[in-house]
Amino acid sequence: MVALTEMTNWAVDLIDVRKIYAKNIRALRGVNIQVGRGEIFGLLGPNGAGKTTLVKIMMTVVRPTRAMGTIMGRPIGHRGKLAKTGYLPENHRFPGYLTGLQLLDYYAALAKVPRAARGASAPRLLDQLGLSKWGETRIDKYSKGMMQRLGIAQALMNDPELIVLDEPTDGLDPVGRRDVRQLLLELRRAGKTVFLNSHLLSELEMVCDRVAILVDGLVARQGTLSELTEHTVEYRITFSGDAQPIRGKLAALHATVDGDLVVLSGQESAKVNAVIDLLRGQGLLIESVQPHRFSLEDILVEAMGGTVPQQQTHDQHGAVKGNANQSLVRKRPD
Amino acid sequence: MQFWALIVDSFRESRDRKIFWVMLGLSVLIAAAMSCISFEQGRVNFLFGAKVFETDYFTGVTGIKTDVIAALVVDGIMDTALGGMGVLLSIIATASFFPTFLERGAIDVVLSKPMPRWKLFLGRYFGGMVFIGVQATIFVALTFLVVGLRWGVWLPGYLLAIPLVVLLFSYLYCVSALVAVVTRSTVAAVLLTMLAWMAFTGVQTVDDLFTMYPEWQKQKLVYEGVHAARWMVPKTQDITYHAKKWSRAANASIFVHADNDDDREMVDRATKVEAARLAMNPIAIIGSSLLFEAVIVLLTMWKFARKDY
Repeated sequence: MVALTEMTNWAVDLIDVRKIYAKNIRALRGVNIQVGRGEIFGLLGPNGAGKTTLVKIMMTVVRPTRAMGTIMGRPIGHRGKLAKTGYLPENHRFPGYLTGLQLLDYYAALAKVPRAARGASAPRLLDQLGLSKWGETRIDKYSKGMMQRLGIAQALMNDPELIVLDEPTDGLDPVGRRDVRQLLLELRRAGKTVFLNSHLLSELEMVCDRVAILVDGLVARQGTLSELTEHTVEYRITFSGDAQPIRGKLAALHATVDGDLVVLSGQESAKVNAVIDLLRGQGLLIESVQPHRFSLEDILVEAMGGTVPQQQTHDQHGAVKGNANQSLVRKRPD
Repeated sequence: MQFWALIVDSFRESRDRKIFWVMLGLSVLIAAAMSCISFEQGRVNFLFGAKVFETDYFTGVTGIKTDVIAALVVDGIMDTALGGMGVLLSIIATASFFPTFLERGAIDVVLSKPMPRWKLFLGRYFGGMVFIGVQATIFVALTFLVVGLRWGVWLPGYLLAIPLVVLLFSYLYCVSALVAVVTRSTVAAVLLTMLAWMAFTGVQTVDDLFTMYPEWQKQKLVYEGVHAARWMVPKTQDITYHAKKWSRAANASIFVHADNDDDREMVDRATKVEAARLAMNPIAIIGSSLLFEAVIVLLTMWKFARKDY
């Protein structure tokens, strides 16, 4: 009973979602993802990870080989709940013979939005997305960015509780992307749940409450950005001089020395100060102290089993110091 | 609401096609050409009297009456403009309806709406028939008015051509839709539908030949096979024939003069075919053809509902 309550509290609760295409192509191999109500959730992963397949299964465009769980409290595949879901696919194609207003009206009618509500929402959304002057224009005259905005408007016509956006900022200029981010934050403030699929990791970092990283059909990581990067926090202290005599003492503080760089994992400032004191005690000159946390890109690369380039430092002559491509898959200190 | 939205969208898509306006233009052109002709006692007027053709055919005593001419024209219209060219152009024009509907990026949005797939399919399917419905209505209405107002011959039965042409089109459109759902290809839909039409016509023609030449019925297995096949496939020729009959269109065979034994034999054989057609129950003709269409539509719906996009 506790599990059932927990399930219905999630906006999206995907359990063991699998999809096997013809010729035994396993696109999804048991995906488990939970999205809380009223949060912005990001899905990222390399090409071919299964992100679009997962989104399509959520929207009943693709039938899963196996899937348990719920979307907005109803079983996956339940079409009725789609009336309160908005969706913008990647590389969408809209009928060019329709005007902006006609397109919004058409898709809203398919979503069972009453005529009066359609008539009120369409101009409002066009205005909100900067397309108010283009409502009567055929969309085959729209630019790519305008088409993207129209697509987002289409996804919002039925005042959805869950909005699923696949690459929503594709084709938008920086101002457009900022507007979309602000729109997503407004939607969250209004209590909507947003499920984002995007390659623009910096965008996800700016808006997402939680993310999941999909690699080869499985969730490699899932959680808030803080949770995902917690194990990656470290301090990097550069100095000039020879730290060999105090190498052992530094190791006792779980600090590693590499040339003129000391790397200390964890966020305890007491330890940082202890290391600095050791270095200063040896007469070494501290050049910089930099806290470092993995970016979402670093987390993604790490999840894919790759190595993350170490942050490069330069000596007084401008030459690069330290090893590049050092693996940052670290164990948490005991 | 959802169904109506699909129908309206299909109509908008039809209007966006150049072929829609070409066919509309042809309808107006044909009606205009017909309206330039009028018949009087002893003569035919072309271009509102600019050219007059004297003829004994319209003496009213021994010649052919205007209503027969009108009926012959309607016969020609049924065969060519509606039954032949009209349906052919409509098949070509609507062959892309399902492929564009199923394009990646387009079908995703539609399938994400709270509408069962079978309903989506049927909405699109009937939307495709709006195309020929509109074209047939305009063409038949215009020519009906011309024949009535200019020639003084009113053929209310001719208006039945509208639903019958839509019916005829639907027998072929179901094949086009099936091919389109399976292949997502407009070219394949056109080609295979044309092949199917030829096959349907071929079966009816071969069966008619068996009627014209009863001695061939000795090939019992072949004859019974063809006869059975005729009842299984849509009867496109038979529909056109009965449409002409109900329109009280005349048969051009009234002009055939059997001057020798060979001609008389041909006339006899053709009469047998006509008699065999008249003996066929129209309800059975339409019903069995609709049954074929229903099977194909159900198969297509099943395919559409099961497919991943």
